[in-house]
Amino acid sequence: MGVIRSQPARMTDWAAASVGAAWRSFDLQLATYAALLLSVGLVMAYTNSVEAGSTPLEVGTTFSRGLMWAGIAIVAFVITNVFDYRWLKTLAWPIYGLQLGLLVLTLLIGSGVGGSARWIALGPLTFQFSELAKILMIIVLAQYLSSRVGELDRLRTILGACLLVGPPLVLVMLQPDLGTSLVFAAILAGMLFMSGASLKWLAALGAATAAMVPVAWTYILRDYQKERLTSYLNPTPDLQGAGYQLYQSQIAVGSGGWIGKGLTNGTQAQGDFLPVQSTDFVFSVLAEELGFIGAMVLFGLFIVLMWRILVAGWRSRDPFGTMFAAGIASMILFQLVVNVGMVIGIMPITGIPLPFVTHGGASLVSMAVGLGILQSINIRQTRAEW
Amino acid sequence: MSTLVDSGPVEARRLSRFVVFALIVVVAVGALTARLFYLQVSNGGQYATLSTRNRTVLEPIPAPRGVIYDRNGRALVSNVATFAVKIRPADLPNQVRDEVVARLASMIKMDPSDINASIDANPGSAFDLVRIAQDVDESTARLISEAGDALPGVEVAVEARRQYAEGPLMSHILGYTGPVSAEQLPRLRDRGYQPDDLLGKAGVESTYEAELRGTYGQESVERDATGRRTQVLQTVQRADPGASLTLTIDTQAQKDAQKALRWAMDKIGLKRGVVIAMNPQTGEVLAMVSLPTYDNNLFARGISNADFASLLKDPDKPLLNHATQGNYPPGSTYKLVTGTGALADRKITDQTRLITKGYLTLGSTRFYEWNRRGWGPCDIYCGFGHSSDTFFFQLAGKLGIDRLGYWAKEYGFGSPTGIDLPGEVSGIVPTNAWKQEVLGAPVFGGETYQAGIGQGYDVVTPIQLINAYTALANGGTLYEPQIVREVIGPDGTVIRPFEPKVLQEMDVKPSVLKTMRNAARNTVLLRHTYNLVDLPIKVAGKSGTAEFGKRDKKGRLPYHSWFVGFVPKDPKNGSFDKPDSELVVLAFAFDSRTKGNVATEIVKYFLQLHYGIKKDYRNFDLVERGNLYQGN
Repeated sequence: MGVIRSQPARMTDWAAASVGAAWRSFDLQLATYAALLLSVGLVMAYTNSVEAGSTPLEVGTTFSRGLMWAGIAIVAFVITNVFDYRWLKTLAWPIYGLQLGLLVLTLLIGSGVGGSARWIALGPLTFQFSELAKILMIIVLAQYLSSRVGELDRLRTILGACLLVGPPLVLVMLQPDLGTSLVFAAILAGMLFMSGASLKWLAALGAATAAMVPVAWTYILRDYQKERLTSYLNPTPDLQGAGYQLYQSQIAVGSGGWIGKGLTNGTQAQGDFLPVQSTDFVFSVLAEELGFIGAMVLFGLFIVLMWRILVAGWRSRDPFGTMFAAGIASMILFQLVVNVGMVIGIMPITGIPLPFVTHGGASLVSMAVGLGILQSINIRQTRAEW
Repeated sequence: MSTLVDSGPVEARRLSRFVVFALIVVVAVGALTARLFYLQVSNGGQYATLSTRNRTVLEPIPAPRGVIYDRNGRALVSNVATFAVKIRPADLPNQVRDEVVARLASMIKMDPSDINASIDANPGSAFDLVRIAQDVDESTARLISEAGDALPGVEVAVEARRQYAEGPLMSHILGYTGPVSAEQLPRLRDRGYQPDDLLGKAGVESTYEAELRGTYGQESVERDATGRRTQVLQTVQRADPGASLTLTIDTQAQKDAQKALRWAMDKIGLKRGVVIAMNPQTGEVLAMVSLPTYDNNLFARGISNADFASLLKDPDKPLLNHATQGNYPPGSTYKLVTGTGALADRKITDQTRLITKGYLTLGSTRFYEWNRRGWGPCDIYCGFGHSSDTFFFQLAGKLGIDRLGYWAKEYGFGSPTGIDLPGEVSGIVPTNAWKQEVLGAPVFGGETYQAGIGQGYDVVTPIQLINAYTALANGGTLYEPQIVREVIGPDGTVIRPFEPKVLQEMDVKPSVLKTMRNAARNTVLLRHTYNLVDLPIKVAGKSGTAEFGKRDKKGRLPYHSWFVGFVPKDPKNGSFDKPDSELVVLAFAFDSRTKGNVATEIVKYFLQLHYGIKKDYRNFDLVERGNLYQGN
């Protein structure tokens, strides 16, 4: 296919670059905001554990598992910091292969709710490889686009990117995980946009996708997916069915008011009125217990985090860095908007995690890996003028 | 647009795209913020209300049900805490229902079909609890509550159930409590009943339901999404305990009555029988036994369908209180009505003698004397004393059916006595109007004769019959028989003191009743009732042999035996001239077919027990099956 052009590189180059890593360019702000978001996630894990009636520090609670994953995520972050990201450019093809391999493996031996195949059990833990696949996808796309600087406004570049994203997207959809496959699409769109791809072609691509929607609706989506997708339009009629989650979630959010009911005091959460409250609907617990002000603090943290990510992308002398930052930022923005939008009733229900906050090891570790790579880029490629 | 944004050389980073991306971030997060503000700040109050309503519900606090004492303050029923197993059908998915029911059935040792029947007969909605079993032992209750997810929809509740101290002895009087039925629920719901509530279903538990139940309170309860209560927030209204009842029943008299009746039943294999004792000065029922009986504790514990079906199928109807719920021909005991009527209507005086003989002829039909001989010229004392049929045929003929009916009604026949027990029936007093309406023909002369001796169309309930003799014994006041003496509030004060209830004063001169009392005494004196006269206490009364049903091969009809007697205030030395009796006793033996009148022997035995008479006067040889008309 030859769409990815691996850079011929010599060992000496990497060594020189590693030695020349400028640790003063490490973005302390980025790390701090990420750490704060991680803390919010742990606080929510704590309150969910308490409300589930368990002692948070016992083995197996949401909180203790959250602590463990946080530790793993920090280690992953540090390792990827030290690691020279340029290896990734060389290894773009194997990484793509790894990504597809993990997704196929998930389909083959994965388990999930109601016959789906979403996560793989690793001993007592489960890991959702599609989360890691998102980061791997960003790496592959960043390498693809950065190697085509100068031809980025061409249709074939855009179509090539689409062809790269296609197979993993379809594999995720087969799990079936509609939410995550939409994240893949969002990453593609965000990176193409930030790469400077022709708006004309992007608009055409968007129109083509829109035209596909009725086809997908009829032939691909399952009934429960359709139900979830449409229930947000009018949550009141079917309170015993698909609308129940949404209705209870909105009551939880609304009853939080300005300052919330206080951590571990959410009556909606405690009474189990909220479904999947430690995962997809974790934001409703946050909004109920910490109120509007708590939600604003969370939004603020996401905004400054995305700002630091964009700054990192802007500063990067290496187009790969710019593209990679664009991918990470697109992913976080999309997941934030869709997850929170779902909880507050302005987006359809899809199982997309809220980065850092939703309880789940794969999501957190993948995010740590993504930000770690970004720091690695920061350290090694920051332009002099910034 | 594109030229504006895309101007400049093609490069990997473009400021315009970064700016636009940042704008998208701001707009998107701004939209989320706006929606959040709308939900949490603008409408926060409304959602807070919804959230509160979500988790708090008003739940009833059951009021402790009032207890019941006998006239001497002896507790006949108490409330004991038990574990009840209930199912909320909405939480029991259909596809696992059979499995859950089977598992539950093996845990509580019930038939799965009984459980399914309870669920299907659920009076409320699928979200209301259905009672499956009561009186589950504690270890089973704990197993069930711990099974949790394995038994979806199954809950264990602690509730009070009735414990009847005397069981079968008092079942027909006390009745029992049971679950609200689907037909009752709509009516009861307005009065605060729950679909899984219990209420009185028979006896005074039913008649005094309103007093016993008390007023349920209300508490607001926090619950979770599955409906389990997590904590009680506050008591909105306290529960007011129900009132207690003191019965007119004397437990010892009740036991004596049951013992006397059971003796005779066991001796000759009687299927049904009734003994009632009353105080004629007040209308209080001192004892009321109807056999066969049942154990009301079976119902209080939640009777199984099989047990209930076998009680229903029993031909002798143990669930019926034959004292108030059965119509039977009164036989010669009814001659009280005919004699009183003839005297009061001046058809005869207490001096008038009529010829009694082997039979009377009316048209072409012979109406036989019971001994086929008669006693020659007889006055009322002789006629009533020997229970002469030909004497009373003549009195009935003189009165006519309508005057006979009038006097029957003066004695309270033909309509329920109003005793405070449910389901009382009214008996039949035949008159021309009644027969015209029911059978479309006037009464014939022969039918009047039959009516005059308590046969034919006459049917009465034992309570009506004893109440008529009560009026005779007290000098003409027809009381409403009462079984509940006092209603006592939870604090011990008497809410409703005892007061005799007069149904009517009879339209008769005291001298007429005095004559009839002495005529009744004559029955005993003439040894028509054998050795009853030998008792160390004075008894007046009337026996009856009432034919019913179909003739056997020898042309004989089966018959019931009756005896109603009363004792003067001073049992040893009193006189029947005075209407001062404080004890009337009735015995009824269904389909007795004994050589002697077994009912007389039952009353005699009761009186021996009641007055502590050491010597035994019972005639065991008369209490044998014989199908012979020896006493009438």
